[in-house]
Amino acid sequence: MLKQLSTHIIQHLLAQNEWTAPMLQPFASQSAQLNFVLFKTSLVILENGSLAIAGETNVPDATITIPPSLLLRLMAKDESAKLQIKVEGDTHLATALAKVLSHVRWDYEDDLSKLTGDVPAYKIGEFTRQTVSSVKDTATNLAEMLSEYWQEEKPLLAKKRHIEQFNTEVDTLRADVERLEKRLNKLATKINTSTDPNS
Amino acid sequence: MTTEHNTHFGFKTVAESEKAKKVADVFHSVASKYDLMNDVMSAGMHRGWKRFAVSVSGVNRGDKVLDIAGGSGDLSKLFAQKVGAEGQVILTDINASMLGVGRDRMLDAGLNVPALQCDAEKLPFPDNYFDCVIVAFGLRNMTHKDRALAEMQRVLKVGGRLLVLEFSKVWQPLSKAYDMYSFKLLPLMGKLLAKDAESYQYLAESIRMHPDQETLKQMMIDAGLSKVDYYNLSAGVVALHKGYKT
Repeated sequence: MLKQLSTHIIQHLLAQNEWTAPMLQPFASQSAQLNFVLFKTSLVILENGSLAIAGETNVPDATITIPPSLLLRLMAKDESAKLQIKVEGDTHLATALAKVLSHVRWDYEDDLSKLTGDVPAYKIGEFTRQTVSSVKDTATNLAEMLSEYWQEEKPLLAKKRHIEQFNTEVDTLRADVERLEKRLNKLATKINTSTDPNS
Repeated sequence: MTTEHNTHFGFKTVAESEKAKKVADVFHSVASKYDLMNDVMSAGMHRGWKRFAVSVSGVNRGDKVLDIAGGSGDLSKLFAQKVGAEGQVILTDINASMLGVGRDRMLDAGLNVPALQCDAEKLPFPDNYFDCVIVAFGLRNMTHKDRALAEMQRVLKVGGRLLVLEFSKVWQPLSKAYDMYSFKLLPLMGKLLAKDAESYQYLAESIRMHPDQETLKQMMIDAGLSKVDYYNLSAGVVALHKGYKT
């Protein structure tokens, strides 16, 4: 039942995002396992460029592992988090699938319009967008306010400028240590050469 | 002197030459009420299983689809909508009564689906012709399943897929309840609704004699299909096998 329902939802989403089919069609009959550590699921690419949950004995051609710690960063659209996703097997397949899954959008207004008609669906959609946007703005303002307080009034957080300065100093120190190490090695080689009775 | 091989007909053993006739008698008997009984027996779930089979078939507009043992034509109807006017769906069944029901339904729905009476062990189609071949609740009634699967593989194009939707081995903890349902309740429902307890007794027995998920998977591999995988539906009451011709 779960497989049937999941497949139906995935195929419905992909049907709303027609651009996905040409991207997936070259990989027809191949499958990939999405490993979120806490749960795993395998998706198989169909000949019409759609997706279905894979069967019981499927052997995936690629595995995409996303640690739970990355999920929040990915949801916050942190580009650097994408580099930490672990991909094994067919990387072309995994890249195409990851691109599709991260860019697919649910056109809820279209679905709603089938129940309520176009105009109420648009109005509900508009209201939802405005509400989400105002909640997001309020959350950003609150976060910025707290961050300012903890940086200026009660210094708990480091300022970006200070972190960058610290990073630069660490880089300089590392370079100095490497140079010193090379000089010491050079000196040690010279001493060995001068004390060698055969030279 | 010729030696006659035996095969199973439900739990009975019969001569191979007799099985097709006996199966035909069963389906002649149940044809008119086949879908009603399927709805009652599966609580309408057979429609969901068939829709799932269509959704994982990957069939696109313009594809050619062969529906084997399609009987009342519900799968052909779903596929005809998927392939559109530029595609082709052919409905086949060995049983004239079942095929007649399917053909009439297609005509009533205004669908151009040819209905053809033929034996799945000797398909009258050229090699490498279909994008998808499906057999739903039909394979277990075939005398030589290996020959039928080999024929299905033959008529598939390279890259084409075979889907087999069939009753299978139920999840072990449910097996006792399922046995009770199959051998007590099912013939009783057949008697009350279709006035034909014997035919439904055969249906229950034939389900038990059918190969389980892994055995059928191996049979499909032996028939030359690759990447064979299966889905257990409703705790294994039904399994959907899918394999590719490569």
